[in-house]
Amino acid sequence: MQLILGFLNNALSWWHWLVLGAIPPLIIALYFLKLKRQPLEVPSTYLWRRTIEDLHVNSLWQRLRKNLLLFLQLLLIAIVMLACLRPSWQGRELVGERFIFLVDTSASMGATDLGPTRLEVAKQRVNELIDQMNTSDTAMLMSFSDRSRVEQEFTQNRRRLRRALAAVKLTHRTTSLDESLRYSAGRANPADSREGERDVMSVAEALPATLYIFSDGNVPDVADFSLGNLEPVYTRMGTDECQNIGITAFSAERNPEKPDHLQVFGRLRHFQQKNTRGEQTVDIRVGVDVFLDDQLIESREVRISEEGTGGIEFSMSDIDSGVLKMQLQADSRNDLVVDDVAFASVNRPKLSRVLLLTSGNDALDLALGTKQSQKLATVRHETPGYLNDANYQQQAEGGLYDLIIYDQCAPDKMPQANTLFIGQLPPMDSWTSGQVQSPVSIIDTDRTHPLMQFIEMGNVEIVEATPISPPRGGTVLIDSDLVQENTTHAALFAIAPRGGFEDTVLGFRLVDTVAGEVITNWPIRVSFPLFVNNVLSYLGSARRASQTFMNVQPGQPVVVQTDEPLQKIQVVSPDGSNLEVTRSGLGHFTFTDTETIGVYKIKNTSATDRQQLFTVNLFDSRESSIWPQLELEIGHETIPVQSASTPTRREAWKYLLVVALAVALLEWYIFNRRVYL
Amino acid sequence: MSSSSTEALSRLLTPELLAQLERMELVSRKIFRGRMKGERRSKRKGQSVEFADFRNYVPGDDLRFIDWNLYARLDKLFLKMYLEEEDLHFYALLDDSLSMDFGDPTKLHYAKQLAAAVGFIGLCRADRVRIESLGQTLRQPGPVLRGRHSLWRMVEYLEAIQGGDSVPLVDGVKNFCLRNSGKGILLFISDLMDKQGYESAFRFLLAQQMDVYVVHVLSPEELDPELQGDLRLIDCEDGEHAEITVSRPLLDRYKQTVAAFVDSAREFCTRRGMTYLLTNTNIPVEHFVASYLRQRGLVR
Repeated sequence: MQLILGFLNNALSWWHWLVLGAIPPLIIALYFLKLKRQPLEVPSTYLWRRTIEDLHVNSLWQRLRKNLLLFLQLLLIAIVMLACLRPSWQGRELVGERFIFLVDTSASMGATDLGPTRLEVAKQRVNELIDQMNTSDTAMLMSFSDRSRVEQEFTQNRRRLRRALAAVKLTHRTTSLDESLRYSAGRANPADSREGERDVMSVAEALPATLYIFSDGNVPDVADFSLGNLEPVYTRMGTDECQNIGITAFSAERNPEKPDHLQVFGRLRHFQQKNTRGEQTVDIRVGVDVFLDDQLIESREVRISEEGTGGIEFSMSDIDSGVLKMQLQADSRNDLVVDDVAFASVNRPKLSRVLLLTSGNDALDLALGTKQSQKLATVRHETPGYLNDANYQQQAEGGLYDLIIYDQCAPDKMPQANTLFIGQLPPMDSWTSGQVQSPVSIIDTDRTHPLMQFIEMGNVEIVEATPISPPRGGTVLIDSDLVQENTTHAALFAIAPRGGFEDTVLGFRLVDTVAGEVITNWPIRVSFPLFVNNVLSYLGSARRASQTFMNVQPGQPVVVQTDEPLQKIQVVSPDGSNLEVTRSGLGHFTFTDTETIGVYKIKNTSATDRQQLFTVNLFDSRESSIWPQLELEIGHETIPVQSASTPTRREAWKYLLVVALAVALLEWYIFNRRVYL
Repeated sequence: MSSSSTEALSRLLTPELLAQLERMELVSRKIFRGRMKGERRSKRKGQSVEFADFRNYVPGDDLRFIDWNLYARLDKLFLKMYLEEEDLHFYALLDDSLSMDFGDPTKLHYAKQLAAAVGFIGLCRADRVRIESLGQTLRQPGPVLRGRHSLWRMVEYLEAIQGGDSVPLVDGVKNFCLRNSGKGILLFISDLMDKQGYESAFRFLLAQQMDVYVVHVLSPEELDPELQGDLRLIDCEDGEHAEITVSRPLLDRYKQTVAAFVDSAREFCTRRGMTYLLTNTNIPVEHFVASYLRQRGLVR
């Protein structure tokens, strides 16, 4: 009874009902009294009588059939009466008429504590909301991870929304609400910043909208943002019980003390709801397996402390190249899978390519010929005459060399490489020099610069030198006493940036190649090979270290350098797909398709080059911390968890009246056409 | 010949139909004895110029017909027999009840047209034509018509027949039979709409041993009524009424009833050697005569 009363909602007063209730008996009376029959004279009722007599035989059913119109009229009035009772059911309804659905697709939405994944549940919720949309409502669908994506612009077409929703996929990326919020706000708020502009016609009409955010709330707070006309509704995806153990760091580095050893570090963390009830947290033990090229090399049990962190550290003998993989084996609850595995790639250290242009310099030859130097670089010796060679032009332009040493010579045009000029100025006006002076004494060296590390110049004597002055932005590395009046030239060694490269100029010659005289005793001092070593390691391959162990987060671009100037390289992603990358300039290749976690192989199209590796790992505490937040911070507003829709009474009277209209039409049709169903 | 009778003629028969009818003649399936010599050969042997057969002499035969040549050769008496030429009695009996006065054209008018057409064929062949209606009293027989010149009299007589005599079918037929006892062809044109049934009336006709052609005339409104709504149907003859609510099944049922009625009448007639023809007023008379009656052997 309660159910029926809840289902119905009387809209009429008692006398209305009295009138309405009188209609059916009236209709029946009219039918059975057969008030007015049109008289019609016919030749004979003989045949008609016989016809009716037949009908009278099975009279009741015939009578019922004959009175189809009566029944239709009774049905009509019954439907109208039912409509007046306003039957309804409990439904949910969207508030507003313009909606923006923001669906989080970051890695943490792959947690399995809710449904198959949180994202699937979020998509279901959005689908439900789309179902509840009225025909006049418009909605937009966006997905966001660390970048946002408009899946479907504002539309009233629910099918298109559903199709766009079905296409939303989980990513391994991190989260940022910023971009999507700004886009939404741009659609909802009037563009007041455009006041000065004339062309206001092109500005889309800004209308208030309800912003439904489906996320676990593990989003960096959005600062300096005003919601304006946006009405945010935050739907929290996830359960309080969720737990996750994830790898937050994993790396392999060469041991500086033992260069032939690799040091492997891994860091684990246990994420769960913040313990507010003062319960004793239990130690968790997690099995960790480390594989090198799919072969198990280490298996340990890691104890995760009360703070929720734990680590693994071990060293292994140096390897040329390979893939290290760390895999978690957790016995306790672990809802997010994507951070249970981490990769580290070990690439062979790349030898830098150095071109030495000299007409003869034994000291330099000797220093570049040491074992240490050979580990760092391959050096090509050429005479200054090579400067006019077409090969040189091509190689210098194409960025083949990492470093070119010009010993008492200079090119016409600066190459696409780092340079070291000895006793000569680069062909640029920004570098200036003074008169040749003698003798020279060194005042100071800039020990903080990597080029001058461990270099003691106190015992170095220099017979003659040209004081130089670097361009603006340059750094003086060796300062001398050669301060002349009206000039500031005093530097013996300076470095200055040039585009993406750096130029260094040494103000004195090491050897006078023409006269064969010794100009300085530096080459016989310990500091000289160290200096050459610094030059090779700093100027020769500034990015070598980063090339050895390349790691990025999902979605981040990777800059790859190749030994040879190639036009394109191929990148094999973890899923096996081959992607071709064309050169973006300066011997760099920028690869952006790093969506999946795993190891990416860089294959050069020329067979000679070696294979390089880089890895994509999540390593994001915010993503691994999957406990859904209770509120979102947007600008200065705090948005609490809210239900996406409000319970409402769904009235059925509209549909009933449509049915009544259909019945009336049917009746009219039967009456006019004399058809019999 | 007055202008009114010319109008009446053109109402009943068109000149084209008349021309068509002139070439036809009535055919009887039975032997009829006419009182006067007609234009048709009788199966009866008699006096004429056309030889038919011989037969043996029996005492009392007319000596004038003995074939003396044959007697000389065979020494036996043979009688020469000749085909007799005779006239045909044609009767048209029209149902002039009120129910016949319905439709457009009315069934009665159709009946008159039909009677005039067939009667004209008879007149052209010097047959004896007599047209009567059911409403005629016993003592008022219709005129006997013979020869083409009687066309006008026939037309006038037909014109004079007015619907409205609600005589039961059986009474009308009985009166007719009492008035006309001779043999001949009877064309009975009626809608058979009599609540007491047509069977007893037909039995009277059977007793006459006439060659009976029953033409059952119905109007399209009766065959496929275009009615709608709730109606009170009033019988024009006896004022009886029937209340109906028109619906598709009712109309279907009515059509079934009509079909059953027609079938039973046809069966009744066929079983008893009468020829039954159903027509409706939409079928032109010339077509009916030229096609239906010719098919059924009434005219040739």
